[in-house]
Amino acid sequence: MKFLSLALALVLLTMPFAASAEKAKTIDELAKMFDSSQCKSCHAEIYAQWEKSHHARPLMGVAGGLMMTPVVKASAFKVNNPKEATLKTFPCFKCHLPQAVAHAEDSVAQELTEALFVASDEKKSEAEKAAAKAKVAKLQITCLVCHNEKAITHRLVEGKPEPGVIYGTKNIDAGAHKVKKSVIMTQAIFCGQCHGTGPNFEFDYPVQCATLYGSYQHNYLSNGGFESCQECHMKKVNGKADHLIGPNFDDKTQTAELLTKSIHLDVQTLGYQWLRKAGDLRPMVVVNTKINHDAGHRIPDG
Amino acid sequence: MEVTAKTLDGKELFKEEKHYHTQATNCLNEKMAYGAQNKTSYVRDTSLQPYKSKNETFEIKLPEGVRTVDVTVELNYEIQVPDNKVLIQKVTKRVTLDR
Repeated sequence: MKFLSLALALVLLTMPFAASAEKAKTIDELAKMFDSSQCKSCHAEIYAQWEKSHHARPLMGVAGGLMMTPVVKASAFKVNNPKEATLKTFPCFKCHLPQAVAHAEDSVAQELTEALFVASDEKKSEAEKAAAKAKVAKLQITCLVCHNEKAITHRLVEGKPEPGVIYGTKNIDAGAHKVKKSVIMTQAIFCGQCHGTGPNFEFDYPVQCATLYGSYQHNYLSNGGFESCQECHMKKVNGKADHLIGPNFDDKTQTAELLTKSIHLDVQTLGYQWLRKAGDLRPMVVVNTKINHDAGHRIPDG
Repeated sequence: MEVTAKTLDGKELFKEEKHYHTQATNCLNEKMAYGAQNKTSYVRDTSLQPYKSKNETFEIKLPEGVRTVDVTVELNYEIQVPDNKVLIQKVTKRVTLDR
């Protein structure tokens, strides 16, 4: 028991728990600020699910890619030199790395840009490119991003998330760390913070990314749907919400299973001779297709 | 979605694709763009909507002498690029004019 108490105390002491007043100047500092690796010791199953999720690789995209490379090399936000980069170079941070918006200096954007340049430079060695890619991979939407940084939306009345507090679906006084209830955590609005509503006009060049929440609001609720994102995408596994939050597009088998279960195709056919005019019969096959799905949003979207 | 019709000896008589997704431009020109950093607003939306059926009709005019074809409808989900896709549904039906 003493050993357990000591272990829990150590876990608490080493947890950065985010929201430091100091801003991160490097990728390592930002990664450390939101490091959630300690969560694994008590929440191994959830952590393993998250490790396979897109939240664990928000700057990578699918199939081991580096989706931010075109941003800095071939878009309105492109820079000629990594040193030109600022946080504004990456409007994507709003959702793909939300902790950077409030807790990182421009130097993090410069370091990321440098890594993206190196990783895509054919003149660099494979080892250099791999190291650069590994650096990008450190930037993740960790447990602390959702369970602290993004846990409170109504800050005018509820205040900012408190440092050292993990926000969950209920208050828990006992245990390794303090857990406060986030009222929105089980509601669609929680996911809607990032899986957005439409063009992001706050940027100097408006960008259009994920619009799932807009689709959910305008096309699902309006037709009588009541389920939340979490009810479908975080169904309970062994009594706990699935933090894979599928689909995982890198797992084609799992993706196919999920989509096949949700999207339905009906095909009706008819073979006959169409009479264009008297004496002019034309052999014809007609194929009628009907696609339906069970999702609470448009498909595809993000 | 891809619809094909083939004769019984495998000759393709018909092939048509339908693409279901949001389509955006940067609103500065008329060109559709991919990549969130390049897109400013949707200009068209053919995606699959909740609670709504997506219905299509394909009319395949058969050449002289052909009275039976195999129709195949494949529904795929493309992940980022056309070549990276997963099969969602596939239906094949033999259709004949013979009674």
